[in-house]
Amino acid sequence: MSYTRPLAELRGADAAEFGGKSANLGELLAAGIPVPPGFAVSAHAFRAFVEETGLEGTIAAALSHASTGDIEAVGAASKSIGEAMRFAPLPDPVRAELAGSYDELQRTLGEERPPVAVRSSALGEDSQEASHAGQQESFLWVCGVEQVCDAVRDCWVSLYTPHAITYRADLGAAGSEPAMGVTVQLMVDAQVSGVMFTCNPVSGDPSMVALNASWGLGIAVVGGEVTPDDYLVSKVTGEVVRETVSTKPIEYVPDAAGRGTVRVAVAPERRDEPCVDEAELAALVEVARRVERHFGSHQDIEWAIARGKPLPDALLVLQARPVTTLPDLQPKLSASALSLVLDTFGASTETETRS
Amino acid sequence: MAAPAQTKSAFPSPYEIATPPGCEGWEEMYPYYAVFDESRREADEGRFWFWNSMHFPVPMPAFDVACIDAPYQAVGEWQNRFFAVPPAMGIDYRIINGYVYISGNPVTDPAKIGERVEYFQRRAGYYFEHWDELYGKWKQKMEALIAEITDLPVPDLPEYEPDEVMLEDERNTAVYEVLAAYNRTLRCGDLMWQHHFELLLLGYGAYVTFHEFCKSSLPDIPDQHVAQMVAGIDVLLFKPSAELRRLAKLAIDSDVDGVFVEGRSPEEIDAELAESEAGRGWLEALERVKDPWFNMATGDGLYHYYRSWYDDPRIPYASIAGHVRALKEGEQVERPTEELARERDRLAEEYGALLDEEARTTFTELLGLSRMVFPYVEEHKFYCDYWFLTRWWNKVREFGALLARHGFLDGAEDVFQLGRHEVATALDELLLTWATGGKPLGPVYWPPIAARRKELLEKLAGWTPPPAIGATPEAITDPMSIMLWGVTTQRVQEWASADDGGGRLTGTAASPGVVEGHARVVIDVEQIAAVRDGDVLVCPITSPAWAPIFSSVKAVVTDIGGVMSHAAIVCREYGLPAVVGTGRATTEIKTGQMVRVDGSSGVVTILDA
Repeated sequence: MSYTRPLAELRGADAAEFGGKSANLGELLAAGIPVPPGFAVSAHAFRAFVEETGLEGTIAAALSHASTGDIEAVGAASKSIGEAMRFAPLPDPVRAELAGSYDELQRTLGEERPPVAVRSSALGEDSQEASHAGQQESFLWVCGVEQVCDAVRDCWVSLYTPHAITYRADLGAAGSEPAMGVTVQLMVDAQVSGVMFTCNPVSGDPSMVALNASWGLGIAVVGGEVTPDDYLVSKVTGEVVRETVSTKPIEYVPDAAGRGTVRVAVAPERRDEPCVDEAELAALVEVARRVERHFGSHQDIEWAIARGKPLPDALLVLQARPVTTLPDLQPKLSASALSLVLDTFGASTETETRS
Repeated sequence: MAAPAQTKSAFPSPYEIATPPGCEGWEEMYPYYAVFDESRREADEGRFWFWNSMHFPVPMPAFDVACIDAPYQAVGEWQNRFFAVPPAMGIDYRIINGYVYISGNPVTDPAKIGERVEYFQRRAGYYFEHWDELYGKWKQKMEALIAEITDLPVPDLPEYEPDEVMLEDERNTAVYEVLAAYNRTLRCGDLMWQHHFELLLLGYGAYVTFHEFCKSSLPDIPDQHVAQMVAGIDVLLFKPSAELRRLAKLAIDSDVDGVFVEGRSPEEIDAELAESEAGRGWLEALERVKDPWFNMATGDGLYHYYRSWYDDPRIPYASIAGHVRALKEGEQVERPTEELARERDRLAEEYGALLDEEARTTFTELLGLSRMVFPYVEEHKFYCDYWFLTRWWNKVREFGALLARHGFLDGAEDVFQLGRHEVATALDELLLTWATGGKPLGPVYWPPIAARRKELLEKLAGWTPPPAIGATPEAITDPMSIMLWGVTTQRVQEWASADDGGGRLTGTAASPGVVEGHARVVIDVEQIAAVRDGDVLVCPITSPAWAPIFSSVKAVVTDIGGVMSHAAIVCREYGLPAVVGTGRATTEIKTGQMVRVDGSSGVVTILDA
């Protein structure tokens, strides 16, 4: 069994072993959606790490002292597990595969030490569970094999945050053996980035793409650190139905030192400017429709527009996941259109509101 | 219409509205039942009344009250007595300081509502089932009525009756013929209004239902897309404009376009065209277009002020001049009907595909029903408001001319300063004294009355009517108020809290886009000539009859109206940002002010307030 696979090789069924994020990216690539290249680390790699470094016992011991109601004890267990994991070396075969995959990425790109994003990829589809289970780690602008290995391990550590420990304990046996995949994906130096839904998540309207955008890397939007520019665009005509441009005082950019990201002030003249133009919006909506069509359901899509590149190459999808909660639209339905018209005049007894 | 709230109303009592200085006694222009009378204070103060500025934006001339009485008789007849719309009877009106306020009569008794449901279902069902057939007959009835009012003779009063009185069995004397003709003129008007409302309520109802369905299953769908899916491509109302575009092209092709210089009067243009063969050819082509397309009116036809394009060709000529300019600049002025049809079907298909199967079935059925009724919703205006009414007013002018010839009026146009029953009275005396050879009192009695009323109307025009008076309703439930006037609970709340000033008005977002420009407040058609390229048109209601000037304005703001009015649809057709139903744009905004119109959010901002 391999520990890593190129993202392009993955499909939906691989979510069980590589996690939903990686599997979805594989699906997107297969559908011809522009996604930055990368590779996925399997849950098997995590299990090998835990087994071969003898961490199993350490973890079990730490957890046995922590009853779930005791916040301090859980915190202490989390801390000791995290430390133990960080000091444990990756098993050679895992490390070798990670290095090989990263080298492959370097070769393909023709670039030394390309920056990558290293993110948790929760097993299965349930992102709700994943967020409780702490599987939402994300390390940006990671360069070189060593840093990649460390970031992968740091993702694994996030399985043992106090919140994740408590959550699993509450689930009982079902949550007893945690594991996760990790996604390693080429970093986009984003001029603009954001999130879009293939429907309006607030109203539930399926004919709209709802889009948030801000300067720089996506964490500013995802982390809620800025009020992003907000757009509602009709899928049917491409018309911008609503546009709210906000002041965007900060952005995240790659650290000039070449490692990680930094939060910087946006130049005053750019703060109140809309950060996407008409052509970019059109390209984004087009991509949103393709992603929705591919999965056959509403999607929540993270995207970025690379600095210094022209469209369409500049636009990249960083991840997509299904929209799970939507307001329930309740159009009046009826045996006939006529009885709905009669209802408008207060004269129908047939109509009902769908629940 | 709605249950009045118990707390003090946000709107003034109709009995506390002051009379503008110098307008004392304005009530004498109107029927006794048209005013807020002391004897019904308690009932009338407890009701919610809104200014019907959509149909009656300026003070009512006495004769034009016929166009309040007849339509409200007709709407009540069809809505209440024929279709028995379960929760709503008819609409009452009152005049205050010359302006028309209306209030619906709700049905509140559940047993009564239940009784009416049976009538409504059966009768509305029949109409929808036989719509095309009934609309076909309707057009025939209207065309016959228009022919009748056009051809109705208004005899002159001869020195001696002709021999035909003794020679022809059917020939009556002048006294009888004049009285009969006047009576028939009024009855033709009544009949037109009865026809007008026969199909309108159901037509609007079907469209509104589709609109509501779209809004509940696709909450963010722009109103424009709903309208586009329904709108007819080839409807009558676009023909007059299309013909003008064709004439503009013909002018260029026959090399006579040089005469269409902006600022020239139609008479000057005609005179120059008549000098050349090509010009005469063009004039002949124009003559062929006139019947029926010059039966457009220069404004919504409920006032005698609005003339047909026959009578006032300034708008069509200005429009032709604009099209000539656009064509020469290489613009495509043809309406791309095939493209519009394709787009309409594409929208319907794509929106349908976004719905689940059950909803899609309802969507498709409602769309079909809306498309079936929509030609009527759009076309009845051409038949009734424009074609018939402009001819009807002209017929009344003929009686005015008769009275003026005998000194009862200073001019034919003054006939509109008399109520329709006063005109009957004046005719009675004219015929009496013409027959007896006695000296009429009319020539000293009527002219001062007409003069005083003209002065009153002028003064009353300067008064600003509040958007609503009487009790503040908790909710608006009357389907007609919502459908026809866009008066919703939300709109009333906005009116109630509207005195914040601040140069910001909200209304219904009727056509998307944001522009800034100088406002041009236009209350009636006489002011249209003042509209300049790039103005933001601010008016009581956007009349589709003004459509030709829409090609030069940047945006449209109105006091009243919902997304339903044909006017809003024409605005969208022209791609102009529009905010309708602001309640007070024509009173808050002054010509020349810089305004920002956001047709997407429904906000109008006065930038140099």
